[in-house]
Amino acid sequence: MSKIGITALVPPELIFACDCSPLDVNNFIPESRKYPRNKLCAWTAIWKEMLIQKEIRIESLIVVAGGDCHNALVDGQKVAMSGTRTHFFFYPFDGDAEYLESQLWRLSDFLGDIKNPDKFKEITNLKKLGQDMDKKRYNGKINPGEAFRILISSSDLQSDPDKFRKAISSIRENNIELNSRVALIGVPPIYHDFHDVAQSLDLAIVFDELPYEFIRHGGNNIREIARDYCNYTFARPLEFRINFLQKELEKRNIDGVIHYTQFACHHMLEDEVIRKELDYPVLTIQGDLPGKTPEQIKLRLEAFREALLRS
Amino acid sequence: MIGLDVGSTSAKRVTIEKGELKYNITSSQNWRDLVDGIDCDEIISTGYFRNSVPHRASVTEITAAIHGVRHYFPDIDVIVDIGGQDTKVIDIRKNNFMINDKCSAGTGAFLEFVANYFRIELVELGRLHMNAKRIPDINNTCGVFAISEMISQLVAGYSKEEVIAGMHHAFARRISFMIPDAEKIALIGGTVKNEGMVMALKDLLRKEIFIPPEPQIINALGALKYYS
Repeated sequence: MSKIGITALVPPELIFACDCSPLDVNNFIPESRKYPRNKLCAWTAIWKEMLIQKEIRIESLIVVAGGDCHNALVDGQKVAMSGTRTHFFFYPFDGDAEYLESQLWRLSDFLGDIKNPDKFKEITNLKKLGQDMDKKRYNGKINPGEAFRILISSSDLQSDPDKFRKAISSIRENNIELNSRVALIGVPPIYHDFHDVAQSLDLAIVFDELPYEFIRHGGNNIREIARDYCNYTFARPLEFRINFLQKELEKRNIDGVIHYTQFACHHMLEDEVIRKELDYPVLTIQGDLPGKTPEQIKLRLEAFREALLRS
Repeated sequence: MIGLDVGSTSAKRVTIEKGELKYNITSSQNWRDLVDGIDCDEIISTGYFRNSVPHRASVTEITAAIHGVRHYFPDIDVIVDIGGQDTKVIDIRKNNFMINDKCSAGTGAFLEFVANYFRIELVELGRLHMNAKRIPDINNTCGVFAISEMISQLVAGYSKEEVIAGMHHAFARRISFMIPDAEKIALIGGTVKNEGMVMALKDLLRKEIFIPPEPQIINALGALKYYS
């Protein structure tokens, strides 16, 4: 099965239906010790270098250029210039489902056409398991850190639906005390131990914005997935995303919001809007290179917990 | 009971004895001098090293600042704590805070670069600022490149005093971007003792500014008050 690199959310059901297997190239970053040259955002800069130097083995790459970031658009082109067969995928800013459908047909052509349409249903069912797990997490039945590790891997379903299914079924239910209920929005943290650190400071992350996008979209054919994925919030106007967030935060009884942003990322520019529009205490964190959560960030988390206890 | 704030550059100790506030300040590396003969059960710590020093309880600088400032100004809206390595802006009304640390341009370290360049003590910057006749515009947002820009202003004929005033304005501008709209703003932290920088910040903000009598010991006081 051809291994297809993806740089952000690309419907994995379509990739599997084309008899290929997705591999989210971001999954290599938090554990990486690379110091990339000429970087803005470390996420894209590191996958770019790893792909050019063939440290991540893929046959083709799908770069999400519209609805993700311009850093990915440029770094993706550098990978393409190094000889990797690359496709650029664009989400519509205005949510135009027909436009997205045309993008998905082009993607299907790039992947060699749909050969196994049953995969759409199989992946949809797997995502339902992910949604159940997410619900159990915010109801205090599953450890938030363990749930995150599964949810973040749902962008590519660990390149193997059976492996992903087993990972979900390995999670044990418990009664977890959720003291300060926190939503983590923005880019996923580049630090591999971030969720564990937050948990050790009594901050229970019961919502991870982007991983939730990974599991909430689906459909049984290209027409259906176009009409669902066109509401992928990261690709839409800020107002759309904030309206969606407000409902999720309320549903999950959130006490405070951590807005994780990345150095040289447009999400930093969105921070002032997020702070203004969301009626919750907001902690903004800006990360840069991967590794362990730095002490300065631990201080912010600790201070945030104190702030939540005051409110 | 003592409040002990061991920060990135200095250590501060506060006690309240018979209603009278007493304090000592030394360098961070000499923090032990402040707790000589004191049982760790008597220490409430804060600052970067709060968990590395003996303590009965510890609290972050953000919470300590709120308690410390309220001792002097009970109804303040926003606290700006300008420390050696970072600047913290705490919006008490919204229970929010921001800390800058990716760039030295809004921290005490930035003014240390300036003082080191002129081979003067940090405390002299404020006095020299008062003698400036003109204020050059220094735009660079990076602390290191602002020094290069400062040197080019000296080459262009501005005096040392004027360039220092320009640097204070560049520093204040950087910090002002972090401060939300508010009526009552308290300034704390060692850097606030620099009257030139405070003047530049007042010029930019045009709000009611409150500064406690000894702005450097507020977090140590706040740690003590937090636990009392």
